[in-house]
Amino acid sequence: MIEFRKEYFADERDDTLNEIGKPTQRQDMLGHVTGRSPFFDDHLFDGLLHLKCLRSPHHHARIRSVDTSEAERMPGVRRIIRARDVPHNLNTLLSLMGFGLDDEPMLADKKVAYVGEPVVAVVAESERQAYDAIAKIRVDYDVLPHVLDVEEALKPGAPSVNPTYPANTFTYHEKYDHQKLRFGDVEAALRQADHVVEGRYQMSPIEQAPTETCGAIAAPETNNRYVVYTSTQALFFSLGTAAKILKLSSNRMHFIGGTVGGGFGGKVDSIHEPMAILGCMLTGRPVKFIWNREEEMQVGAPRGAERWYITDGVMNDGRIVARKFTGYFDSGAYTRLSSYAIIKSVGHLPGPYTIPNVSADVYCVFTNRTPATAMRGFGITGVDFAIETHMDKVAHRVKMNPIELRLKNAYLDGDMKAHRRLAKNTALVECCQVVAEKAKWSIGPEYRAMSSLKGGGGERAAIPHTIIDNRGLARPASGLGSYQSPPAPGYTPAPAYTPPSYSPEPQPVRPYEPAQAAPPPAAASPTTTRPAGNRFSSISGLRRR
Amino acid sequence: MPVSVRTFQGAEEAERALAASRTARYFGGGTLVMRAVNAGDQAFDTIVRATDPRLRQIQMQGDSVVIGAGVTMAQIIASRDAVFLAPVAKVIGGPAIRTVATVGGNLFAASPYGDFAAALLALDAKVVPVGGTPVPIGDFLDARDREPRRIVLSVIVPRPRDSRAFRFVKVSRVKPKGVAVLSIAALLPTNGGRVSGARVAYGAMGGRPVRALAVEQALEGHTLDEQGIAPALSAATEGINPQTDALASEWYRRQVAPVHLKRLLLDQRR
Ligand SMILES: Cc1cc2nc3c(=O)[nH]c(=O)nc-3n(C[C@H](O)[C@H](O)[C@H](O)COP(=O)(O)OP(=O)(O)OC[C@H]3O[C@@H](n4cnc5c(N)ncnc54)[C@H](O)[C@@H]3O)c2cc1C
Repeated sequence: MIEFRKEYFADERDDTLNEIGKPTQRQDMLGHVTGRSPFFDDHLFDGLLHLKCLRSPHHHARIRSVDTSEAERMPGVRRIIRARDVPHNLNTLLSLMGFGLDDEPMLADKKVAYVGEPVVAVVAESERQAYDAIAKIRVDYDVLPHVLDVEEALKPGAPSVNPTYPANTFTYHEKYDHQKLRFGDVEAALRQADHVVEGRYQMSPIEQAPTETCGAIAAPETNNRYVVYTSTQALFFSLGTAAKILKLSSNRMHFIGGTVGGGFGGKVDSIHEPMAILGCMLTGRPVKFIWNREEEMQVGAPRGAERWYITDGVMNDGRIVARKFTGYFDSGAYTRLSSYAIIKSVGHLPGPYTIPNVSADVYCVFTNRTPATAMRGFGITGVDFAIETHMDKVAHRVKMNPIELRLKNAYLDGDMKAHRRLAKNTALVECCQVVAEKAKWSIGPEYRAMSSLKGGGGERAAIPHTIIDNRGLARPASGLGSYQSPPAPGYTPAPAYTPPSYSPEPQPVRPYEPAQAAPPPAAASPTTTRPAGNRFSSISGLRRR
Repeated sequence: MPVSVRTFQGAEEAERALAASRTARYFGGGTLVMRAVNAGDQAFDTIVRATDPRLRQIQMQGDSVVIGAGVTMAQIIASRDAVFLAPVAKVIGGPAIRTVATVGGNLFAASPYGDFAAALLALDAKVVPVGGTPVPIGDFLDARDREPRRIVLSVIVPRPRDSRAFRFVKVSRVKPKGVAVLSIAALLPTNGGRVSGARVAYGAMGGRPVRALAVEQALEGHTLDEQGIAPALSAATEGINPQTDALASEWYRRQVAPVHLKRLLLDQRR
C-alpha cells in the first residue's frame, strides 16, 4: 500500500497533475495479461533462415586460422559469415556521440578476448542445421595469457586485452587513464581528522536475465530496404549502430521495435540487428538471429563488476570532513557502456552527503570478461552499496547511531555538491526521519527537528579551494588504432600504479599519511586547461561544447 | 543431422534400439533431453521413446512402493501410495516441469539437479533396469557416469514406517522453484527416542547425490535435540566434496550445510 506523505514539501507540489501521485495502469498491461502483446519473434516470414554464431571457448587467444570448408558443405547452410564480410567491423555505441573509440568487432578477426566472443556466423535453413554446421568449423587458436581482475589488469606486464586501449584503461577526456573528481583538499583534511576509516567493497556482475532473449529478424523490403523486427530497448541506438557497422544509410532500414520482453539495460546497446541484417543482405532471405538462454547468460552484457576503496576522514562528533574514492569498473573486454557509467557514478559522489573535501579516481578497466553494459541504477548502485556500507562502518567507529550519522552529514537544499551543482529537492533528511519512524529506530530530538529546507546554502554553497593534479595522464587516444604512431611530445607513461592499502577492522587510530603522490609528468598540459571536446551533463548525458 | 524420434511399445525393444546406436538418447519426460536438442547438442541424433504402460505405474509391493521410471512429478504428488514423496516432487521445477519431468530422468540429472534421486538414496530405494535385477541406488549412482546407459524400468522404494521419520529440505535462493544450492534427505528411525539406522543424503553437494556417512554415524544412538545432534553437525561435510557452480561456491555450500542440517534434524520450520 502506497502512503503519500503530503505534509512534506506541500508548497512545492502541484496537486493538479493528472498522472503523478495517482495510480495508473501501464499501457501494455492488457496485452500482457491476455497474451496478445506482439514480440519481435511473433512475426512470421516465408523462407526464414536462422543465424547462429561460433563462439570463443577461450578467455584470450589469437586466431591462427579458421577452416569452414566442411561446414559450407553441410545440408541447409546458406552462408558463412566471417569478419571480412562485415563492412565496418569495429564498433562502440557511444562513439556515435563522439565519446570513446570504436573498439569491438562484430565478428572477431585476429583474436578473441572473452569466452563467448563471436568468431564465425552461420546462416542455415534451420537452427539445427546452423548448429550442426558450426560443429564442423575448425578454429586454430593460440591461447594467450588472460586477466580477469581489475587491479591485476593495471599491473605492469598484465596481458593487454583490447588493442584500442592497450594499457587496459579507457581514456577520459582524451587525456587521463581514469575519471577524476577533485573538490577541496582531501589529503590536508585527512591529516586533521580524528579518525581515518578505510574500506574495500565490491560487487559482482549482475545479469539482467530478461525472459525474452536478445534477437532480431531482418527481411528484404521493397525499395531496396530492410525491415527489422527487434527486441531492442533503444531503437534509434540500434539503428545508428546497424548503419555504422553495415555502412548502410539509416533510411534503408525500417526498424520496428515495440514490446520488449524484459530489458533492464541489457538491450540498450544491442548488436544482434546488424548481424541479422548482414545475413539478410548476403542471402537475400529473411534471417533471424536470436540468442539461446546460455548465450543470454554467457555473452549478454551484464551490469559490470565494481570494486571501490573508500577512505573517510571523520571527526569525533561524526562530521565527515574528507572522503576519498578509488574505483574500478570492470568493463570486460570492450567498452560498451561502462565508460559512461563512470561519468554518472562520479557525478554522484560522495553520495547524498555534504562533505567539504572529496576526491575520486575511477578507472574503466578492460579484462578478459564478458563486456559489461547498462542496468537499472546505472553507475550508482555499486558505489551506493559501498558508500552506505561505509557509513555504517564509520558510525561503528565513532560510536554513533547510524541514522543520526547520516542526518548529521546529509546534504541540504542549497549545498554545493562535489561536481559543482547546487543541491535541490534533496529530501534525504525527511527520508531518514520516516525510515527511523517506520523501523522504530530512535533518533534524537535535534535530528527529528531537522529539515532539508533549513540550514543549507551559505558557506555550504561555496566551492572550496581545490587541489588539482595531472596524475594518470594516459596515452593520447585519438582516431582508430592510432597507437602505432609515436607518442605525442611531452608524453610520459602513467606512474606505476600502487593499489590503496586495505586493512580490516579493528584498526588503531593513527595519524593519517597521504599516499605517495607521483610527480606530475614532465611538460604535462597546465592544470588550468579544460579538456576540449565532449562534456557530460549529469542528467542528459552528453553535450558538445 | 536432423534429429529423429523412434517410439517403441515395449521397454525391451527400446532398450535394444538404444544399445544398438551410439548416438541415441532415451527420452523420459524430456526436460533435459529437449533442452539439449534446442541447443544443438551434437552428442546424439536419435531420440528413443517407449510407451510401455509399466513405465507409468505406481504399485504397492509388500512394504514398498514400485514407481515406474516414466512416472512424472505431478503423478507422484497426486498419488496416495507415494504420498511421503510428495514434498520432494513438489519442489522440483515449476508446474510445467513437474507435469513432464520423470523419476527415471531425475536419476540421471547432473548436479545441481537430482533432488528426487537424493530422497530415494536416503530411503534406500532399489533401481530396476529393464530385464535386469534390482540394484541398490547407491551402487547405481556410483556406476551411473561410468557404465553404458541402460533403461531404468522402475524404482522400488521402501515406505518409511513412521511418516515423520522421513524428512526432506531443498535449499534454493529463488523461492519456491529455484534450483538447489543443496538438498538434504534424511530417514531418521528412532528406538526409544534414540536414532537407530539413520540414512542421510545430500543433493547438489558433489557431482551426484551422496550419502553423508559421517553424519549417519554421529547420529547413531543419539537423541534429536541440540545436544544429541551436535556431533552430527560437526561432521556435516566430512567426506563430502561439494562443487562450485553458478549457484554457490564450494565454500558457501560447506558453510550453510550444517545450518540446514540442524534445522532439518530439529524439525524446525524454515
Ligand atoms: C527449468 C527447469 C527446472 C528444473 N528444476 C529441477 C529441480 O528443482 N530439481 C531437480 O532435481 N531437477 C530439476 N530439473 C531437471 C529435470 O527436469 C529433472 O531432473 C527431471 O526429473 C528429469 O526428468 P526427465 O524425464 O525430464 O528427463 P529427460 O530429459 O527425459 O532425461 C534426462 C536424462 O535421463 C535419461 N533418462 C531418462 N529416463 C530414463 C530411464 N527411464 N532410463 C534411463 N535413462 C533415462 C535420459 O536419457 C537423459 O540422459 C529442472 C529442469 C529444468 C529445465
